[in-house]
Amino acid sequence: MNVFSMRTMSGVCALAAIWLAATAAAAQTATSRIVREANSFLSTLDEKQRQSVLFAFDDEKQRARWSNLPVSFVSRTGISLKELNAAQRSAALALVSSALSPRGFEKVEQIMEGDEVTKTNEGNNPIFGKDLYYISILGQPSEKDPWMLQFGGHHLALNITIAGERGVLTPTLTGAQPALYTSNGKTVRPLGKESDKALALLNAFDENERKQAILSYHLADLVLGPGQDGKIIQPEGLKASAMNERQRAMLLDLISEWADIIHESAAAARMAELKADINETWFAWSGPTTATSGKNITAYYRIQGPHLVIEYAPQTLGGDPSMHVHTMYRDPTNDYGRRFTAK
Amino acid sequence: MNTRLIAAAAILLSLGVGASAHRLDQYLQATMISVEKDRVQVVLRLIPGVVVSSAVLASIDSNGDGVISESERWAYAERVLDDVSITLDGNRLTLRLVSVEFPATEEMKQGLGEIQIGFTANLPAGGTNRRLVFENHHQNRIAAYLVNCLVPRDRDIRVIAQNRNEQQSLYQLDYVQAGSGADSASLKGWSTIRGWMGAAGFASIFRLGMRHIAEGTDHLLFLLALLLPAPLLAVGSRWIGFAGARRSLLQIVRVVTAFTIGHSITLAIAALGLVRVPSRPIEVLIAVSILVSAAHAVRPLFPGREAVIAAFFGLIHGLAFATTLGELGLDRWQRVASILGFNLGIETTQLMVIAATMPSLVLLSRTRAYPGLRIGGALFAGCASVGWIVERLLNVHSSVDVIVDGVAHCAVWTAAVMFLISLACGSLPNIRYKQPTATRHPVKAVVGGPNTSFPTIYSKAIIHCERTGRSETTRPTRAICCKLLLDKPTSARYTSLRILGDRES
Repeated sequence: MNVFSMRTMSGVCALAAIWLAATAAAAQTATSRIVREANSFLSTLDEKQRQSVLFAFDDEKQRARWSNLPVSFVSRTGISLKELNAAQRSAALALVSSALSPRGFEKVEQIMEGDEVTKTNEGNNPIFGKDLYYISILGQPSEKDPWMLQFGGHHLALNITIAGERGVLTPTLTGAQPALYTSNGKTVRPLGKESDKALALLNAFDENERKQAILSYHLADLVLGPGQDGKIIQPEGLKASAMNERQRAMLLDLISEWADIIHESAAAARMAELKADINETWFAWSGPTTATSGKNITAYYRIQGPHLVIEYAPQTLGGDPSMHVHTMYRDPTNDYGRRFTAK
Repeated sequence: MNTRLIAAAAILLSLGVGASAHRLDQYLQATMISVEKDRVQVVLRLIPGVVVSSAVLASIDSNGDGVISESERWAYAERVLDDVSITLDGNRLTLRLVSVEFPATEEMKQGLGEIQIGFTANLPAGGTNRRLVFENHHQNRIAAYLVNCLVPRDRDIRVIAQNRNEQQSLYQLDYVQAGSGADSASLKGWSTIRGWMGAAGFASIFRLGMRHIAEGTDHLLFLLALLLPAPLLAVGSRWIGFAGARRSLLQIVRVVTAFTIGHSITLAIAALGLVRVPSRPIEVLIAVSILVSAAHAVRPLFPGREAVIAAFFGLIHGLAFATTLGELGLDRWQRVASILGFNLGIETTQLMVIAATMPSLVLLSRTRAYPGLRIGGALFAGCASVGWIVERLLNVHSSVDVIVDGVAHCAVWTAAVMFLISLACGSLPNIRYKQPTATRHPVKAVVGGPNTSFPTIYSKAIIHCERTGRSETTRPTRAICCKLLLDKPTSARYTSLRILGDRES
């Protein structure tokens, strides 16, 4: 064999090795990736820290211990980023990131950064800040048995249930205050798309559709906020079966702002479910039908389907309601993935 | 306001809480209602914001010892119950306290935690159509109310409508309760259908139909504009005097029937989901239909063919009715029953409106005041329709609805006043038209040609063909008969002629 063919052979072998490695990486499922990140996070902790992070999978109290309020008001359990050293902290964030889509994790970071802005604005008020976010694990990280990852603090409560290959994000709360801030010279609106896409959908309605979609009464807050698990209220507003194809696509795109927070394969399954439900999905709006350009809406809206409740509720305190918003993302038939974890 | 803000700031400072924490100066009161066959269960969650929490706490801590005792909790819950009320079909229900949960006093002082009051009331047996009204005026000055109902677990209970005032202190729930509850599982489906076909859904859907057309002023405006010239005769491009009571009545019946047939067809087709039409073009076409009938009321555009036009636009109006039914989210079988009820509701209101307005129109059409009324009415309908067209095409807001609804709001009075005026006008000879005379001649009476003579010579006469709806005016009458026969000597289209007009004295 001459030198040339030797080189060709080794080149082919190298390519084959790279291809094999790439396939292996792709074959590694989202769940195994999350389990690996969870175990490596837990391995960075000392025994005492591990104790405070781990809960029993069926600890109902811990499951429901989340809120939109600052951590000093409603105390969270688990361990906060503040109590972790740099390596532990990056392992914790790597775990959260592995369970989310890049877009979802960016949203989470922006919400946390917003709390840091609030802290600065309030003269370094110690009840705010991006290190006051708590992580906890319910059950043992496993590729087969169900377990839960919780991450949250002020304006954030992610409840991620992993059951085999399935991933469930409901119930999850996102919020933002300020809903518009500048970070490193860049304007950030953590929940800007939730606002803009909803307004675009409202504007895509004709007179009659608007009449049905817009509720005649004021909604001061979330109807199904923290503590209201599993409740199915009578839907109101405009039913998507009365919308046209384009409006339905816009509605799905709006829903994806929540459904796509979780990692891609779980998000794809969830979106497929919500798409199948779309004709039974309602959209209701209450409040001003216009917004200042570049700012969030000041109106409440709700999307409700057989497996879905999304609420977007601007908060009137602190003056400008476009600057403070709470949102809720639920599947009342599948709180904490009960549908997939029931024995 | 200012003092409240200062107080808020003071409390915030004392607690070291940022102004951006959460709801501060309101007392959030969220009610969740759950309706069952024979009882209603309510959970009221009370969350005082930090600014008002001390005032709320003080009102609960009646002996002022800083501790909320068990008896103070229940006493407060009873007071809250005094401030709320539930009526079913107009009868006030007796509320029974079931549970009272309080957070720790410390938490409440910080504007945290929620008080939960559970109560229940028995629902007396009654009809299948039920209206439950919940009212809450507890701490009205500082309250932010929310009220919702859970989707009933009992499949025999179906929510028809929820209405609230802006503040949500008043909530009205319309629901249908089908079945007696004694059905076995296999019969359950049937009983539901029977329930819907029977008095159950029917009456409420019937009412919905009545309400829909009463509130859907555009449908009524179309019909009224189309009926404005119904008592009149068209001659060439003008409306002239009264066409006779019998003809007016027939014309009204024809137009209304045609409209009904038209909208019933499309309502059924669309409500069954056989076709789906986007609502916006339909709404625009409905506005156009009003414009067309308003224009026709000014100048006859399609005399004698009003019924055809009514049927045609009826098809379009029916599609709009279907959207209202669609909003109820009924399944196909329930829809079949509801179409009937809904349509009957529409018809009833329609007939009521016609019964209220048409006698005045017929009476007034014999007077010289009528052209004014007709043109005025047509202009109003025309302006409203143009407003609606612009609004619906460009998706902008205008005040058309406000104005039209305002007029519709005093419709009963307007109709009554109009009827009195029409009676008065009818009895005043100087504003009445001269008594018109109508003589009917079969064609063969004039077949005789130019030599045919009439018993009387009329100063002005209209020759009207019943078949084609066309009229011509002439004087003297004999000449036109001759002309007509000369022009169309063999025309078979003229089956009868009617000569109207003032008899020459």
